[in-house]
Amino acid sequence: MTSLETFLAAKGIYFLTFLLLFLGLYGMITCGNYMKKLICMNIMQVAVIFIFLCLAQKDGGTIPVLFSNLRNAEDYINPLPHALMLTAIVVSMGTTGVGLALLTRIKEKYGSIEEDEIIERENK
Amino acid sequence: MRKVLAIITLVIILLIPTFLFDGIMPSIGDPNSAPNTHVSDYYIENSVEMTNSPNMVTGILADFRGFDTMFETTVMFLAGLGAVLILSNRPNIKKRFIIPRNYIKQRPNIGAPRYKTINKDVMITLFEPLMMIYAAYVYFHGEISLGGGFQAGAVLGLAYIIDVMIVPGRRKKLFALDKGNALSIGGIGTFIYALTGILTMTGGGLCLEYDKLPFGLSHAESHSAGILMIELGVTICVMATIITILNAIMGRVRFDDDPIKRREDA
Repeated sequence: MTSLETFLAAKGIYFLTFLLLFLGLYGMITCGNYMKKLICMNIMQVAVIFIFLCLAQKDGGTIPVLFSNLRNAEDYINPLPHALMLTAIVVSMGTTGVGLALLTRIKEKYGSIEEDEIIERENK
Repeated sequence: MRKVLAIITLVIILLIPTFLFDGIMPSIGDPNSAPNTHVSDYYIENSVEMTNSPNMVTGILADFRGFDTMFETTVMFLAGLGAVLILSNRPNIKKRFIIPRNYIKQRPNIGAPRYKTINKDVMITLFEPLMMIYAAYVYFHGEISLGGGFQAGAVLGLAYIIDVMIVPGRRKKLFALDKGNALSIGGIGTFIYALTGILTMTGGGLCLEYDKLPFGLSHAESHSAGILMIELGVTICVMATIITILNAIMGRVRFDDDPIKRREDA
């Protein structure tokens, strides 16, 4: 393997996950629609989950469910980030729910969830 | 302004590979990297004997880090409570920005939703019981194989969301929960979790120390019983929170092409 292939095999997935993370950040900065901002926040959360799951990966390891013939720590991938990310998924669902509730209120008050229209009506 | 921010974000994205070259992040699949050593080796080697749960993720989530998960469940319940409280009061109508009627008329009329491709009532009747059976399977297999309380609750909540999609009046809904009931069921789920902790404390142990459950069970049995109890609490709480958020938003939201709600405003 060339050095580039070695590098991509070892670190390449980080580039993709960071790309997803900053894609969400870019969307949150540039989108004018609050619904799209919420979706971009979800994309960021998924990227964070991917980064943690990348760290849990082990060469030659299987899923962290007990097999009777495997007893060593090297045989299983790291279960700790999986347990942490399970709760992170649920929290992301909770934030999405509260965000949607806030969007409902904004839509009621201003009749729109577009940032330009809200600023226009607020300054009226 | 937005273009400047966009350019800055793009520059940051292009700078990521330079961080990766320096060895800040560990290589993928390296068994000796920092996240894969220290405490996680201890978890892998000892969790099955200590928690009697072949699924190590459930063992960590429900037993080693049970106190963490308890408040994670509470956060979930509080999210549902927050969504209800945000949408509970009626805002001052005079302060509301009423859109002129012709502004609404200018928008393209979407009309009532039509689903021509599938017979929704039949498909939903077929799907819902299967989804609920699958949720029960995921819940009971949470400690044996892959699964757990959070996933089972999410699947149950999804079954309710699909049930809501039925055209009203065509057939009775499988189960209907109004706003207050769903929220109290979420509270019951959180209470079941806390009750497990209180039971272990009455048995003379610490909070969520399953060995001290006052049922006279062996080490392995008491751990399985404790994990199943808290998973039941998590399942009920997550399911009820999903239903609560859905009910709160659906009861308040107003679509532009909704003829009944628009008449109230006029």
